[in-house]
Amino acid sequence: MSIVALGFTLVFVAVAFFISLWQKLGLERDLFVGTVRSAVQLLLVGYVLQYVFKSNHPLIVGLIVLVMIGVATWHAGKRGEGLRGIYLRIGISIFTTEAVTLGLLLGLKIIPFTTQFIIPISGMTIGNAMVVSSLYLNQMKRETVSARGEAETLLALGASPRQAVHDLLKRSVRASMIPTIDGMKTVGLVQLPGMMTGMIVAGASPLDAVRYQILIMFAFASSAALTSILLSLLSYRLWFTKDESLKVMDG
Amino acid sequence: MDPILSFHGLTKKMPGDNKILFTNVSGEVFPNDRIAVLGASGQGKSTLLRILARLTTAEDGQLFWRGTPSGELPGRQWRTKVGYVSQQAEMLPGTIEDNLQSVSRLHKIGFDSSSAKEWMDEIGLGHLDWQLSARELSGGEKQRLALVRSLLLKPEVLLLDEATAALDETNKRAAERLLDDWQQNRQAALIWVTHDLEQAHRVASRIWSMEDHTLSENFQLGAVH
Repeated sequence: MSIVALGFTLVFVAVAFFISLWQKLGLERDLFVGTVRSAVQLLLVGYVLQYVFKSNHPLIVGLIVLVMIGVATWHAGKRGEGLRGIYLRIGISIFTTEAVTLGLLLGLKIIPFTTQFIIPISGMTIGNAMVVSSLYLNQMKRETVSARGEAETLLALGASPRQAVHDLLKRSVRASMIPTIDGMKTVGLVQLPGMMTGMIVAGASPLDAVRYQILIMFAFASSAALTSILLSLLSYRLWFTKDESLKVMDG
Repeated sequence: MDPILSFHGLTKKMPGDNKILFTNVSGEVFPNDRIAVLGASGQGKSTLLRILARLTTAEDGQLFWRGTPSGELPGRQWRTKVGYVSQQAEMLPGTIEDNLQSVSRLHKIGFDSSSAKEWMDEIGLGHLDWQLSARELSGGEKQRLALVRSLLLKPEVLLLDEATAALDETNKRAAERLLDDWQQNRQAALIWVTHDLEQAHRVASRIWSMEDHTLSENFQLGAVH
């Protein structure tokens, strides 16, 4: 794609900008920031990846993966405001998910040990784990309000914190995995996923693109389950005071 | 005799702002005590009970179980000794039987089905099929089931937050009789929050009044209001 053609893609932002102005949505500032950020971030990543792909050095790959985990943790952690120590637990959950997923992919020789495979697949796995963590925390916040009576009844009957929120955790884990599972059910029928589309646009055969997409979808299923379960087990105690009573969360 | 449950200098602020709900609240509970907590709405009676059950934390003050500070006992251990029945009877998912068995499931102990059956009969729920969904019961039935469920925990102190408010007079009396028998058989202590003065006279031997942001004891029932 030429630079001129890339410039023309701003037309799409202009459409959104116009709609926001016309309907008084007040999104102009956010759109502007989003446009600048996505362009700058992606261009920067493009340059970084070009350098990384050339060097193919395991240390640099590891560093990039760690930065991805850090950013994902920071972003998902904002959903857990008021829960002291949530960032560490999200970080451990995403790190473990990435390690298990990548370990299986490399160990079973599904993908080769090259930067070109490791970075994009890690990015997608970590991104999905981030979304799952956010969904989990959002749902758990809702549960501690709507099912507070249920949890406190169990506490009043002498339940441990884990016993008191067992059903709340289960429902939150389920809720955080549903988008991934729904995505598996409708992929290809409702939407063509970004990676597959990208590969096809870049000239790969659709069948090749589909194979990698299947890999990604299956890896997502396990990474969603792993992240969510790990995060629920590592963080359930944070919803309680040191007295083992349920904290009052905002929202 | 030493108190089983005692609390000193409890202070609680209103959620959201920093206004004092109550301050310098102290008291002692002995085996066999039957205490009614009276006071106008908004004085913090329910909050006090929740603090005693360690479901809410006080900003200041201390709780003791047989002289041991509450901080030295995990919440779950505390709550097996100090039972709590809330005003809104919350049914756990599942059947009536699931609810009755909740204590045995949580603590991995045998289900005392004979006591459960006996108490369900006494409280006027003997006719219910235990396989019915507990959440389908009426408000009064839920409140009575919640009471029996808490009795099966066999706590040494039972905190009752208007635990018979949804009951008609006949069922209220049945619940009072059951609680009275249960308390006497176990030498347990009962603390009732109630708005019903007649009920306070029937069920209590001691009266705590919550007014002017603190708690005081009325040694004679006739002295109340």
